[in-house]
Amino acid sequence: MDWSALEVSLLLAALTTALLLPLGLWLARWLAITPWRGRPLVEALLLLPLLLPPTVIGFYFLMAFGQGSPLGAWLADVLGLRLVFSLQGLLAVSLLVNLPFMVQPIQRAFAAVPHSLREAAWVSGLSGWQTFWRVELPLAWPGLLAGMALTAAHTLGEFGVVLMVGGNIPGETRTLSIALYDKVQGLELQSAHVLALALVATSVLALALVLAFDRVGVRGRALQER
Amino acid sequence: MAEGLQVQLEAAGPVRMQAEFDCAPGELVALVGPSGSGKTSMLRAVAGLWTPQALQGHIRCGGQAWLDSARGLRLLPQQRRVGLVFQHYALFPHMDVLANVALAAGAHWHEADIRALLERVGLTSLMQRRPAQLSGGQQQRVALARALVRVMPSPAGRGAPPAGGALLLDEPFSAVDAPTRQSLYRELAAWRQQVAVPMLLVTHDLQEARRLADRVVIVDAGQTLQAGTPEKVFASPRNARVAELVGIQNHYRGRFHKQTHGWGRLQWLGTQGAVDLQVIDKNRIDEGTAVTWVLNGEGVDVLAEGEAAEGPNVLRCRLQEVLPLGDISLCTLVPEALPDQRITLNLTGRLLRRLAVQPGGRVQLRLAPQALHIMPVK
Repeated sequence: MDWSALEVSLLLAALTTALLLPLGLWLARWLAITPWRGRPLVEALLLLPLLLPPTVIGFYFLMAFGQGSPLGAWLADVLGLRLVFSLQGLLAVSLLVNLPFMVQPIQRAFAAVPHSLREAAWVSGLSGWQTFWRVELPLAWPGLLAGMALTAAHTLGEFGVVLMVGGNIPGETRTLSIALYDKVQGLELQSAHVLALALVATSVLALALVLAFDRVGVRGRALQER
Repeated sequence: MAEGLQVQLEAAGPVRMQAEFDCAPGELVALVGPSGSGKTSMLRAVAGLWTPQALQGHIRCGGQAWLDSARGLRLLPQQRRVGLVFQHYALFPHMDVLANVALAAGAHWHEADIRALLERVGLTSLMQRRPAQLSGGQQQRVALARALVRVMPSPAGRGAPPAGGALLLDEPFSAVDAPTRQSLYRELAAWRQQVAVPMLLVTHDLQEARRLADRVVIVDAGQTLQAGTPEKVFASPRNARVAELVGIQNHYRGRFHKQTHGWGRLQWLGTQGAVDLQVIDKNRIDEGTAVTWVLNGEGVDVLAEGEAAEGPNVLRCRLQEVLPLGDISLCTLVPEALPDQRITLNLTGRLLRRLAVQPGGRVQLRLAPQALHIMPVK
């Protein structure tokens, strides 16, 4: 078992989920209730990472932030931030590709909260913030948990983008799925089995969580609509 | 003396509105109109939930301005003291009954006070239930309690605010079954005795408005057409549209002619021929004006064919149809002089038996001049 790869994978998944949650929450809530006409455009942009091949995203990320680009050079010179072949870079691109996985379930959950409940809260004297914390969030939390589980699971399994942007540096950017690829290339099938099983186990766990939260959400909505 | 609720609204579009009405503390005013007439928008404007930029005018409650477009003042719903009962309850599904009401109660309300209130609305044993575990009637009682805590005087003594604001009810009884509706009517009537705030009820149900409201405001196409006591509005609608909206079946065309001593002559115009009727001249309508007029069935005496009939306005009619509806029968009569006109009356079975008349038979109608209400054609 490649423990350092597991560590990198778990660290990347945890950081991606934690950093994406506030951003995704804000974006999802806004998308769920905004009457703005440009909303479908934002939604389409958010879905783009789902459709683009990961290698394409990785390629453009390298072009934008690599040492050769002005932006990459500026980041390296001024901030000392190297986004290519580093964990920071991996995290940055991971945030980008996971945005739809976080935003979609949360947006659906907020959109399912009947608007009349917001109005009922307002006429009951609750401010916008109080309405969010005491009415909307408690009703939408299954969507939040589903988004977090999906993001974590997807980050653990991501391969193409990681290979393009992070490379294969042990303890830094070598994740479980990269290590698995390595083992298969080296015909170490015994080790490959262990890694593959670890990935299957984490994915099944995450999927079970997503489905469980989704059922909680569906039951909640059914209760509201009765 | 606390001031009530005064509303005067105007909007050019996209939703056209022209509304003016008021409601005194302790008074229940019903906004009545067909669906899509804008009555709910008026209620939502009072609550601060509907405030498009195009909305002009003012809303004042208890001496406080909630909306004053001339001064650019538009209070948020939170800044208005409003108890609103939604048509579909809009209870918070993740909270139990007690928490739903406590959320709306101010700091002056202690838990014991809220429990006492819930006991009074008959929810004693249900305080720990979630809304989904309640029947429609029970949910509506919770919604009523949640609205009441906003406008009731706070129970906790010193410095606590007195009753104030406005209680708004948006079709509150339309989603519950008939027996529950009857008991909710009684409960609302009881609360009116105790909470002296202006109460606005939106409903499409004329009977409900008639039964509950001190005054009704007839609403159509975003406009308030007429306001008054239910008796007044139902007996003397301002124009033909109001007559139609309040469900008066007997309305006709005619021409008004002035006579002496407060009397007028109404020429009832059929497609062929005309009949003259004596009416009261209230000095509101000019000589020779084309009018719409309605007949209030309560002022009509039905006499047997051979009976001696004194006084003006006696019409010989043929009983065309009798539709039994329980205690009463819906009867259609055709005046012999105007065979293309129809008079619809609700007659008791007892009267029909006394008259000994079958469909196709003849009767006499005596129309009291007070029962003929004349309106200019609009």
